[in-house]
Amino acid sequence: MIKVRIPTPLRPLTRGQGEVEAKGASVAEVIANLDSIHPGLKQRLYDETGELRRFVNIYVNEEDIRFLKGKETALKEGDEVSIVPAIAGGR
Amino acid sequence: MVAHARELNPFECCGLLAGRNGAVVHHYRITNTVANDVRAAQVFDEAHVKGLRHLPETTRAEVAYFMDPKEMLAAFKDMRQRQLDLIVIYHSHTASPAYPSTTDIGLAYYPEAAYLIISLEQKSKPDIRAYWIRDRQVVPAEFHSI
Ligand SMILES: [Zn+2]
Repeated sequence: MIKVRIPTPLRPLTRGQGEVEAKGASVAEVIANLDSIHPGLKQRLYDETGELRRFVNIYVNEEDIRFLKGKETALKEGDEVSIVPAIAGGR
Repeated sequence: MVAHARELNPFECCGLLAGRNGAVVHHYRITNTVANDVRAAQVFDEAHVKGLRHLPETTRAEVAYFMDPKEMLAAFKDMRQRQLDLIVIYHSHTASPAYPSTTDIGLAYYPEAAYLIISLEQKSKPDIRAYWIRDRQVVPAEFHSI
């Protein structure tokens, strides 16, 4: 199983849980598996074109997946996936 | 925070405050990478807020901030280890009032944190205000210094 950290805005979909477990051999598979358990998650993470939304940072262990293979980044038992929305703004 | 804001002026500073039961006990300065992370402009475009692409990279940090994703992750990990909650997300406005801009509102993805703004509009008298930004609604957040 893969441990996934869920950010606060998505916790209403995971019954308040900040950490959930899912199955999958890649980030995309884990998100698909999570969506089957917690419907709606996928829609919040992907845009209309099926790509991950830009403000969503996803890390495998400590690595940002955009410097790995994006949503096709391979996962193995014991990996930790963190979903962390960007923090940005301006004047 | 004011020192952080003054050090980086005219660029915007940013950071996080964490604590327990609403009381801040830890301060994380986070690097503003709006000028050098290609992701930043994409995030701003996606949220249909301030376009950054027409601005030279050297001036982007004067009007916007984007927290370094790696430092952010490290800060959240540190909070978990210390059993602290995220309480405040802060940044500076170097030449405008301490009120959330449409950019700040459009990019507010953290309903649990108060968004604090340090305005250096009047250099000798920094103005510090905090707000809840939830579903694009801005509500002043109360805080006091002890
Ligand atoms: Zn702002």
